[in-house]
Amino acid sequence: MAITRRELFTSVAKVGVPAAVALTVGTKALQAEEIPVPSAAVGLLYDASICIGCKACVAACAEANDTPPDTRRDTLHQEPSDLNDLTRNIIKLYKPEDGSAFSYVKRQCMHCLDPACAAGCPFQALHKEPETGIVKWDEDKCIGCRYCTITCPYHVPRFQWRGYNPRVTKCELCSQRLEKGLKPGCTSVCPTGAVIFGPRTVLLEEAKERIKKNPGRYYQNRVYGEIDNGGTQSLYLSRVPFEKLGLPELGPESVPARTLRWQRRLYQYFALPALLYAGLVQVIRKSLNGYEEEAHEREKETGLRAQL
Amino acid sequence: MSSASMTTPPATPARWERAVPVYGFPVVNGFFLFLLGMTLVAFVLTAYRELAGLGPVSGMNDAYGWGIWKTFNVMVLTALGSGAFAIGIAAWVFRRKRLHALMRMALLTSFLAYACGLLLLGIDAGRPWNFYWIVFPWKWNMHSPLAEVAICMSIYAMVPLAIENVPPVLERLWYFDSRLRPGVERFERKLRYFFPWIIAAAYLLPGMHQSSLGALMLLAGERVHPLWQSAWLPLLYLGAATFMSFGCVAGTTMLCCVVWKRAMDMEVLDEAARITSWLIFGWMGLRLLDITFRRALGTAFHFDRFAGVFWLEMLLIAIGGWMLRRSLHGHQTRTMFLGYVLSSLGGMIYRFSPTTLAFRPNPESLYFPTTIEVLVSLGFICMGIAGFLLIVKRFGILPAPLEEWHSMASYFRHRRPYIRWTGYFKHGYFGEDEQEATNSH
Repeated sequence: MAITRRELFTSVAKVGVPAAVALTVGTKALQAEEIPVPSAAVGLLYDASICIGCKACVAACAEANDTPPDTRRDTLHQEPSDLNDLTRNIIKLYKPEDGSAFSYVKRQCMHCLDPACAAGCPFQALHKEPETGIVKWDEDKCIGCRYCTITCPYHVPRFQWRGYNPRVTKCELCSQRLEKGLKPGCTSVCPTGAVIFGPRTVLLEEAKERIKKNPGRYYQNRVYGEIDNGGTQSLYLSRVPFEKLGLPELGPESVPARTLRWQRRLYQYFALPALLYAGLVQVIRKSLNGYEEEAHEREKETGLRAQL
Repeated sequence: MSSASMTTPPATPARWERAVPVYGFPVVNGFFLFLLGMTLVAFVLTAYRELAGLGPVSGMNDAYGWGIWKTFNVMVLTALGSGAFAIGIAAWVFRRKRLHALMRMALLTSFLAYACGLLLLGIDAGRPWNFYWIVFPWKWNMHSPLAEVAICMSIYAMVPLAIENVPPVLERLWYFDSRLRPGVERFERKLRYFFPWIIAAAYLLPGMHQSSLGALMLLAGERVHPLWQSAWLPLLYLGAATFMSFGCVAGTTMLCCVVWKRAMDMEVLDEAARITSWLIFGWMGLRLLDITFRRALGTAFHFDRFAGVFWLEMLLIAIGGWMLRRSLHGHQTRTMFLGYVLSSLGGMIYRFSPTTLAFRPNPESLYFPTTIEVLVSLGFICMGIAGFLLIVKRFGILPAPLEEWHSMASYFRHRRPYIRWTGYFKHGYFGEDEQEATNSH
């Protein structure tokens, strides 16, 4: 046993030392990862404190995306229970039982700077557009594994449970309208300007301006999405704690960067697996020779053909 | 087999020397037909699922995007089917030579578990026709744990694991007809030339995807209960797969020995039990250390379902490990078998927990598999078992003492001379076959 272990270690070390050095020196991933902000990043700024909950944006969203209204709960009116396969955008109400301040919240894709859904998507069906930073879904690449519904910390992508050709539904910031020079459906109808569309930098300035003008009005005097989860392109202002609106406190590091750090380093350039493979081949070749010798001896003793 | 002969070793200890087909038992019996029936039901329901979509056939919903097809049939059963990986490493890399006796069982159970799991993975996927992207490596998302699992698992099952399972087939061809022998021998020589590379791949790939199965749930973050969610989840998943697969292979072999009245080689079984018990204690130590250092141990003493599942897992695995240690004194096969069953059961719950039992979607929701879901899941397991029963009766898989091979020869020569298709010892075509067999007696 002692010998074989030593063999394993020495043969791994022989190949490994140069490879490991090359890996540590050459790799950028070992330094802290900085998430680049796309050059023309666009997004939404939603101010929950001025939303009146009219749901005009919900109807406009369905219309802009050519989606039939979700009338499954109420056969007459569009009344989605939550984001679902027909609903990319929804207005919900947070109303605490103790009678303290209530708030509406508009939920749609956050268009994270480092999206967890795209990090997990096996064939890049969910991907971030390099220019605009919009997180889009590609029906020709999606295998329907529903990993995005598990990974998204905001629980946004929804799977179509019925039918032989299911789709993943999520806000894509009405990119078909943006191409025509129009604004996204939800922002074009909002009567109070609670949700506005624009470049992320402009929206961020606007949000900070509002905080400066009304000190104490907003929760923690901060914009949700500036740094949360590595930064998002949908930004939120609210009077009530963000957590109550379904926006969890995730910290400044993005979910993929935080959780897949070691996974990414171990598989960097496939160097460590290749190294392990080379070591294994060496050890197994020796074992195989020894095993065959013994097998042939037994073959002579028993007169029966050796089995591998 | 009486209980006395099960618990006490025979006078001359049996030594597993050779893989011998199970002879003298018909393949088609009531149980086999039942398994085929279950498989057929699963196939019919699968056709319905492909037309209707996942919603009408399963209990999956927006909160629980994954049901038992993924979380049980793939995550749990491929852990049981990692025998080719765990026992293979012990036998080939760490040169525990006696464990080679279990290798064919390990390779077969692994192949069946992976094949059935992968088939169900294809059925579970909503848009399986897009799987063709798998042949374009530049379209892979190299950092996605799921891509790693899907790609690595299919390559592993279809290439190294399948090739490792070829020798029993070649052996059967060799015995089947002497005209095939030169060709078979040539093929075997070629195979042996490539074997180190194939076997090494067969250890690297499962090591990667069994750990990536754990990495899958890392991205779910806070939604997995802190007793499970950990940066060490990949390693813990891999560790659970090693002791579970030892339990699966050794336990199945013992069960087969009892059912088909084969002698047990206590030297091999003791060694497997010893290794398994150390794997179990090492794994439990790692898990407890991890939980303690993350300061999550307090949650284990809350009165909720998470703490309950946690203690159930840990107790089952600990008792299983303790029984395996105990069984080493005096070759108590009964204790050993129970130890394997309990520790594997605990491991199965552990592998099942992060995705289902300890998963806390927000908003809170419930998932319970529907009847159709359970029937399809069971149907694919039954298909694997049926395949196992067929293959051990047609190919040399199950280890046995040398006498068993000679008994098989005489059985076919004297009791069933009319059976030609069993292959191993046939009469009529070539006199020299029988001559060889008689001489070796």
